[in-house]
Amino acid sequence: MRITRSAVLGISVATTVALTLGACSGGGNGETTEPGAGDALDTDRDITLTLAWWGNDDRASKYEESVDLFEEQNPNITVQTQFQAWDDYWTARNTEAAGQALPDVMQMDLSYLRQYGATNQLADLNGQIGVNLDVGGFDEALLASGNLEGGQFGIPTSSNTLALFYNADLLDELGIEPPAEGYTWDEYDAWLTEVSEAGAGEDPVVFGGPDYSVTFWFFLQWLIQQGVEPFTEDGQLGFDEADLTSWLERTQPLRDAGVVYPIERTKQLEPLGGFTVNEAASEFSWDNFLAGYVADSGTDNIQMLPIPSGDDGTTSLFFKPSMLLSSSASSEEPEAAAALIDFLVNDPEVGRIFGTSKGVPAVAEQRDAMEIEPGSVDERVVAYEESVTDQATEAAPIPVEGFGAIEAEFKRLGEELLYETIDIEEFVSQWFNGAASSIPQS
Amino acid sequence: MTLTRDDAQRGTPAPAPGTRTQQKRWRSADVRAGYAFLTPWLLGFLLLTVGPMLASLYLAFTDYNLFRSPSWVGFDNFTALFSDPRYIQSVKVTAVYVLVGTPIKLIAALAVAMLLNLKHSAQGAYRSIFYAPSLIGASVSIAIVWKAMFIDDGMVDKIGQFFGAPAGGWVGNPDMTMPMMILLAVWQFGAPMVIFLAGLKQVPAELYEAASVDGAGAVRKFLKITLPMLSPVIFFNLLLETINAFQVFNSAFIISGGTGGPAGSTLFYTLYLYIRGFTDFQMGYASAMAWVLVLVVGIITAVFFKTSKSWVHYSGETR
Repeated sequence: MRITRSAVLGISVATTVALTLGACSGGGNGETTEPGAGDALDTDRDITLTLAWWGNDDRASKYEESVDLFEEQNPNITVQTQFQAWDDYWTARNTEAAGQALPDVMQMDLSYLRQYGATNQLADLNGQIGVNLDVGGFDEALLASGNLEGGQFGIPTSSNTLALFYNADLLDELGIEPPAEGYTWDEYDAWLTEVSEAGAGEDPVVFGGPDYSVTFWFFLQWLIQQGVEPFTEDGQLGFDEADLTSWLERTQPLRDAGVVYPIERTKQLEPLGGFTVNEAASEFSWDNFLAGYVADSGTDNIQMLPIPSGDDGTTSLFFKPSMLLSSSASSEEPEAAAALIDFLVNDPEVGRIFGTSKGVPAVAEQRDAMEIEPGSVDERVVAYEESVTDQATEAAPIPVEGFGAIEAEFKRLGEELLYETIDIEEFVSQWFNGAASSIPQS
Repeated sequence: MTLTRDDAQRGTPAPAPGTRTQQKRWRSADVRAGYAFLTPWLLGFLLLTVGPMLASLYLAFTDYNLFRSPSWVGFDNFTALFSDPRYIQSVKVTAVYVLVGTPIKLIAALAVAMLLNLKHSAQGAYRSIFYAPSLIGASVSIAIVWKAMFIDDGMVDKIGQFFGAPAGGWVGNPDMTMPMMILLAVWQFGAPMVIFLAGLKQVPAELYEAASVDGAGAVRKFLKITLPMLSPVIFFNLLLETINAFQVFNSAFIISGGTGGPAGSTLFYTLYLYIRGFTDFQMGYASAMAWVLVLVVGIITAVFFKTSKSWVHYSGETR
């Protein structure tokens, strides 16, 4: 093998340059959407729509079944579908957004609504309402969660709210009662300690639950209970360093005493967690997670409670859209896109197909069409949402632009806090520094 | 052999006057055909490599965030790098990986290459078996398998417990993830090994025979014959593996779930670049990071070439 100096140089330069720089280039902003009455759907012309969602195979087959029904009713429309898992979904959409090539209809999350809505990526659906899109069946507050400064950038398909899940079988084994309804955050912390002490002798060791304070949404919910609006009207943070510090300091004794589920174990279980491997007795999450919890843990006896109450004795829950459907501002078929959204959120048959797998359907016709077996997951989720309806006194906070980034940063710093590589002071200063660069200044 | 390529060309006698124009025409037709065949690659190179590179150079000086049109910020992205604790962390992680991982990988590759160079009836089979990890090593699946091996109660944990090591998987322990990543890299020694093997086969057997006659032992033969004769190959492998190590991404992305965790211990440079660009949307910052990496790798390559004159011996070169 003969290698010359110039060959080595050539190859090394080529590898360096080609592999290091996979940079992205992209265009600028689109035009602003003009609100106003849209045209009626054209039924003579052949139309092709694109539809994208995040989710697993199970959700994909449900979407395909629904889309087939839609195409049956609208013979001139063909729907091309694609789906990815959550992370890849946003990577794909972000790249498409940079190139003005978003799908005609796509699943949207509250975390990204402002990111896409405020940057003219999404169509204002106001013009389609009453023409191709019927929103008569929606709760006003829920519909408003897809509204941004007057523009309707997303239509919620379903709703969810926070809940405490507990593993009733595991608590029975330990001989500990679940928290009593109306419990406070401090009482929950004491209960966690009690479970972890009782579970220390088990094999494997059982903990009360993971450290809830490092999840951004729980912090937001707590802020609302404190009477603090998390985000201001003009898309900035409504809380300060002191709020975040006192939230994190609340749970420091739990971390110090080793009461919370160990982070070393959590990292290795991902995407599962201590709760789904039956080593943690409780966990806060969104209520539509029940189906996933039951499937992953292999235990059907998972029960739900409202979250702890704030100082005024109320939970100040909010219903948030578990997901929305949005249409691209660059769509060439806004009427057909609106018709597809209308079908997916209103058609009873679609409600039957999806059940509560996306959350409880927003529209009554879809809720009623669900075939709910007594004691089933669907029934428990619906029953929970009905039981907390009068506690849900707040509107869902509309996330700021850059929410996805600050939420991810919160999770990352939380991990470091649990590993004790940073302290609370560093957490707070690093998070606010990151937020300053992620949230555009108005 | 004292002729370099330039000497050889200069020494070519001029063609006879009558054939000169004909040859010129022939040559230009040759050149045209050459470019025609080159076109598909050239188009790809210009559109998919040079174009995006120039775009990223521009973006490095802007605050482009994927959703809003870029505005010029000068060197802000570059100065911000040095006050970003995560950036410093990613540089540290990458430096350790390159400085520790690359030499170990090359030593392993050379050792195995020398073993496989021994005459043996099943030589071909051994060579295939040892090369196999590198064929599958770049894939996503192997990172997943690796994670499963090093998790709590995984294979490595069990073996460790048997020998009395403290229990616990490596994946969740920030102190152990780097050794795990380096092991994964070392295990994929196949590519440099094959090159070493090819190099070893070029070393003339007479040299060893002569050394044996003079009474040199195995160590002396290795130090005085194998290493110097192999030095261009060592240099080539060292350069390539160093550059590759700087660009490790897939395995860290899979094992940490794209976060560079636990506690930033697998936050490799390229992974942080990806997080900045595609999770935080800060394309300008990510582009600045990419260009700093190109510069640093470029400088290191240049240093390698400068120092190589003193220890790399090319056959056919005299000094």
